[in-house]
Amino acid sequence: MTRGALVPSRFAPVLTSLAAIVAAMILGGVFLAMRGKDPLAAYGMLFSRGLGTSYGITETLIRMAPLLIVSAGLLISLRAGVWNIGIDGQLMVGALFAGVVASAVAGQIANPLMWLAAALAGMGGGLLWALVPAILRVRWGLNEIITTLMMNYVALNVTSWLVKGPVKDPNVVPPQTRLIPQEMRLPDIAGSGVHIGLLVGLVVVLLVSVLFRNTVVGFMLDILGRNRQAAIHAGMPVNRLTLVALLASGALAGLAGANDILGVKGLFQGNWNPGYGFAAFALVYLARLHSLWIIPFAYFLSFLAIGGEMMARPLGIPTYFVEMLEGLMLLCFAVATYFERIRSPFGRAEEIETGPATAGEPPGPLVGDPVFEPVARSAGGRP
Amino acid sequence: MANPHPPAPLSRRAGRGGNEEPIDRGPIIAMRDISKRFGPALANDHISLDLWPGEVHAVLGENGAGKTTLMNVLAGMYQPDAGTIRIAGEEVQIASPADALRRGIGTVYQHFTLVPNLSIVENVVLGDEGGFLPDLSAADAKLTAMLADFGLDVSPRTEIRNLALGQRQRVEIIKVLLRGSRVLVLDEPTSVLTPGEVTALLDLLRHLRDQGVAVVLITHKLGEALAVSDRVTILRNGRNVGEFGPDVMTGAAKESVRDRIVEQMFGATQPTETRHHGAQQSIDVSPGVAIKHPGHSEPAGEESRHSRTDAAFSRDSSFLGMTTSLRRSPSRAESGTTLLSLRGISTLGDRGAPALQDLSLDLHRGEVFGIAGVDGNGQKELGEVIAGQRAVSSGQIFLDGAEITNRGLGTATRLGIGYVTDDRLHEGSVAASSVTDNVALKAIGRQPFSNGFWLNRRAMDEEARRLIVEFGVKTPGPETAIGMLSGGNIQKLLLARELALAPKLLVCNKPTTGLDLRTARFVVQTLREQADAGKVVVLISSELDELMEISDRIGVMYNGQLVAVMPRGETDLETLGNLMLGGARRAFKVPA
Repeated sequence: MTRGALVPSRFAPVLTSLAAIVAAMILGGVFLAMRGKDPLAAYGMLFSRGLGTSYGITETLIRMAPLLIVSAGLLISLRAGVWNIGIDGQLMVGALFAGVVASAVAGQIANPLMWLAAALAGMGGGLLWALVPAILRVRWGLNEIITTLMMNYVALNVTSWLVKGPVKDPNVVPPQTRLIPQEMRLPDIAGSGVHIGLLVGLVVVLLVSVLFRNTVVGFMLDILGRNRQAAIHAGMPVNRLTLVALLASGALAGLAGANDILGVKGLFQGNWNPGYGFAAFALVYLARLHSLWIIPFAYFLSFLAIGGEMMARPLGIPTYFVEMLEGLMLLCFAVATYFERIRSPFGRAEEIETGPATAGEPPGPLVGDPVFEPVARSAGGRP
Repeated sequence: MANPHPPAPLSRRAGRGGNEEPIDRGPIIAMRDISKRFGPALANDHISLDLWPGEVHAVLGENGAGKTTLMNVLAGMYQPDAGTIRIAGEEVQIASPADALRRGIGTVYQHFTLVPNLSIVENVVLGDEGGFLPDLSAADAKLTAMLADFGLDVSPRTEIRNLALGQRQRVEIIKVLLRGSRVLVLDEPTSVLTPGEVTALLDLLRHLRDQGVAVVLITHKLGEALAVSDRVTILRNGRNVGEFGPDVMTGAAKESVRDRIVEQMFGATQPTETRHHGAQQSIDVSPGVAIKHPGHSEPAGEESRHSRTDAAFSRDSSFLGMTTSLRRSPSRAESGTTLLSLRGISTLGDRGAPALQDLSLDLHRGEVFGIAGVDGNGQKELGEVIAGQRAVSSGQIFLDGAEITNRGLGTATRLGIGYVTDDRLHEGSVAASSVTDNVALKAIGRQPFSNGFWLNRRAMDEEARRLIVEFGVKTPGPETAIGMLSGGNIQKLLLARELALAPKLLVCNKPTTGLDLRTARFVVQTLREQADAGKVVVLISSELDELMEISDRIGVMYNGQLVAVMPRGETDLETLGNLMLGGARRAFKVPA
């Protein structure tokens, strides 16, 4: 007669994500079956190699580090309602800066100082790349979705030009920065084969968690993301907060770039683009914009990437299969949140009125936000 | 539960007077035992309701009584958890708002659904099943006649944004009637209207009723319900607690009906145990104690807490009449010193048009300064300018003699100027955030909520709990998202939030809009108390009675100017009404 009380538990939002993941894997299995591969064998190998071999686990943990850092940054901007689509570009510029600075000072100062310098350079690069869209957004109200996206292409070409000319290692033929010797790269965590970048990633996620849980700035960013008008009404420095959100996520993207240079690659190569940005979007959404949930989902997505590579070759499945799975997960997630919403006790109608009632719900894109918002703003006469 | 009314045969649209067709006198809509639960709250508890063609049916009740939920069930917005709906005797499932409209149930919501930058005709054909390219000129012709019928002297090609709210409402009504609606549901239709527009709307409803439309009027305003209704249903805490049919409503003893309705709505005059619909729960109807359902957890866990709301309610039991209980001599306000001065203020509205023109005003300590005006004459902008929410383009503002012109919102808040917006859903509160976060919103950068960097979550939580109890806010707890609360409870929190900052000057824009009588009463009384304590209260309101009741002075806004400022004792409703309309208003044509 009447439904039982639907009191949302703390885990309910994540259950939706898990359901989306399961659905995506089933769909992926269907695709595999259609290609004549045995999905059970494929998934069996995915799990047994990705989770069951020390190589798989080590690689997964190494892969986690940049994902954690990038996702933490993306979380800051999305929680503030700012859509930073330019993670990949910011990461590339950060990586290039880090590569140049690290190779310039390597061997001349102590390694930890070199790492710090490279990390700061990476963050500076990412921040610089986010600064352009940030200023355009804050000063002239240009939609950051478009500007950050476009800055990716600029970054791709600018870094590739720089690495072919001004910052190229003159001693080798391919376009790349000078190689940082293996012994000067980030050390492993107690002989585990996983470099300390993972710890940096975990610390970054924890810091972001503290930012939102315990600080005024985090509180204000959350309010801004949920209701910009209310933030203005309450007298919050909306423009400065928008700037902070974009710059922080850019800087963290740059840090992730530095992490890969210092921990894995040792140099920046032209056209290097690991594409963490897309994975980070999937990750942050699956984690329901909750900072600490990023950690298990980062592990899962890293496992998927590594396990996918390990299973692909023996079974003759294209490595793109894992990317397809990620895409399917986002798609299934979108569908799952739809069902979550109509099942919610606060039906559709009220949602239009008050917005989603679930805390930590991803904010919608600024659809109503005109590209030339200043027209409305200058007319508004607001301070 | 057995259906007490057998299905009624199809009733046909029929004129009341004039050439009558035979009428089958069965209800056009029969809702039976409708229940709807939202989380822990039972919004509708076995409500039954009949709608009859050719009748105006008022649904009365406090905020949160379940009126809107019930109508949303009828409009296909929600599916009931239990219960049946019959249209002309046939049991139906109303799957969606579009489905409801197809079945002849048209709803006009409090928040209009017209697209402001489309024309009337475009709005009317919008969503029509007329193919990809609708025939606008055909619709034009039909509309022109209908607009004139409805007293709208405008072209169908007029853009909606150029219409006043009252006019927009008529377009909404036309829109649903053109879709063939035989049932017209109006949710708080008069809350946005001027007194003259209200009279005209009520005339229009009578006219529609006489043409056989079943009109449902959801309202808080007893006067309107009594003036126009043939039938009244009273909801209280999700239950149907009383119904008065045409025999009573159109009978002679209207005053006694009024008393009986009030009693049913609030139960304040007769605190007895009532049983209803055979349900086994007892209802405690003593004022202020929330009715408990099984599984309905009591907020804050204190059953006998006596909140300020309840106190206000019981102190002033004659709340429906325009009593003089809150009036006090205006002489004290005159003796108050000037706190804030506006000198030659001009500013632009949201659309870039001048909203205030060369306006000057002094506000004195200890006074409630009421601002009356038809919507869109600059009251909102004046309130925002005083509160520092809106920059001025020329003129000066002084607080205690020191200039604070365009010093920004932060300065205004720091100097003790508070503001309660009229847009509580979009501007005043963050729906997805907790009650606690919303309470802390405006002072988050200060003690005790933070030291400027680190939040003090415990202080935030304590403050939220304190305000919830003190202001009698109905919420499962401080961690509940504020968007889940009813409008009245959100309003209480917004007011509480401002008062907690102990402002010297408080601007309230329409603080009682959409509130039930008890909450409205409480808000008004709180504002008066603030002024009596030496603060300045600026009250912008469309409720003239409310302004007349607590203001020391009343200013009337017309066309961005204060056209008159009068001590309350020297004016009356008619004078205010005239000034609000600027004397240039044409008589409204009521359809014959």
